[in-house]
Amino acid sequence: MGKRDRDVRMSLQTLRVLDAFLENPADELAGADVQKRSGLASGTLYPILLRLESAGWFISRWESIDPSSAGRPRRRLYRLTPNGLARAGEVFASFGRGVPA
Amino acid sequence: MNGHDIFAVLPAAAFSEPWLRQIDRIASRLIRHAAHHTPPSLQERLEEEWLAEMAGRAGRIARLRLALGCWWAASAIAHDWAASGVAATPGSSNTAAAYAAQEPGFLSPRTAALILIACLHLALIYFLAIGLGNRTVAALPPSIVTEVRDEPRSHQPPPPPPLVRLARPPIEAVEPAIPLSLPTDADPVQGVFERPKESPAAPPPKVGDRIVGGPAKGFPATADYYPDASRRLGEQGATAVQVCVDPRGRLTSEPTLTQSSGSARLDGSALTLARAGSGHYRPTTEDGRAVTACFSFRIRFELATPR
Repeated sequence: MGKRDRDVRMSLQTLRVLDAFLENPADELAGADVQKRSGLASGTLYPILLRLESAGWFISRWESIDPSSAGRPRRRLYRLTPNGLARAGEVFASFGRGVPA
Repeated sequence: MNGHDIFAVLPAAAFSEPWLRQIDRIASRLIRHAAHHTPPSLQERLEEEWLAEMAGRAGRIARLRLALGCWWAASAIAHDWAASGVAATPGSSNTAAAYAAQEPGFLSPRTAALILIACLHLALIYFLAIGLGNRTVAALPPSIVTEVRDEPRSHQPPPPPPLVRLARPPIEAVEPAIPLSLPTDADPVQGVFERPKESPAAPPPKVGDRIVGGPAKGFPATADYYPDASRRLGEQGATAVQVCVDPRGRLTSEPTLTQSSGSARLDGSALTLARAGSGHYRPTTEDGRAVTACFSFRIRFELATPR
């Protein structure tokens, strides 16, 4: 079991990552996809992804492809858990106005 | 090869294809090295994940930037896990504790990453600056050297100019249509008033004791009325004007043109002169008595010949 919700440090960068997933909560996003949506650098993004995954907000899995036939390595896909979706909604509701630009 | 040659060769080598391939190798090594600095339970996963992300990036610079970012992320992840003391993934509850037991040594991964990033930036800036300068210098044309030579001068006299025989055209003397009579002490430009009736050779005609009038003393000088344009164009000529003068020498009507000189400018000036001379005419006399009468006289505009 990962960290509990109260242990997640809610920074501006974390809010941007959550906002990227909330565009379509059912989406499974690789790191590059989140980077495009949030505009964060990889050095900032991956610690946040792992933090949220450890807290139980995200769940990740390997992409189910055959690398030899696809011609590329498999990617790690992240998705909001039901608990993470609810918690993210609560966070943004507490702010009332989404993520500041 | 001196130091300057090395600096000239290095940029060219940095942009060659083998060296560009080295960037991908360096990026891969950076990612593997970064992943090995994360908690052991995450090392394999992060290495595969980051290498897959790198394969999806277009451009070597983008891949190198991703590798540097992963290096930074690895240090942050290790710091997080060490500080929280919580297992990274379910089923590996001792991961954080095991990672926390690893001492970072003299240089922490974060410090090493900072130093490496700074060095790579400096190297990139250096290569770009020197490489661009090298290309500019290579594009410059070779320098032009001017050499001054002292050649012995030849003291031979210049060749004589070619003989040109000019044909002398025959001069045909043309009799002037108007007889010219220039006084010797005349002004550069002066008018000559012809009074055929008063010429010494031909005394003025008399009708009884009638003496035809004409310009008298105080009559304006013709030179004052010579048009400037006519002077520049060299126009000359004589205009005959008829005036009607009362016994006091004043005009009784507008002077009229009886014979043109061929130039409208000269004709206009002659009429102006005749008009300005009102009061300075000698009236016609009949039996010694001045009467109002009309008579003609000629105003000649001539340019003085250069002395």
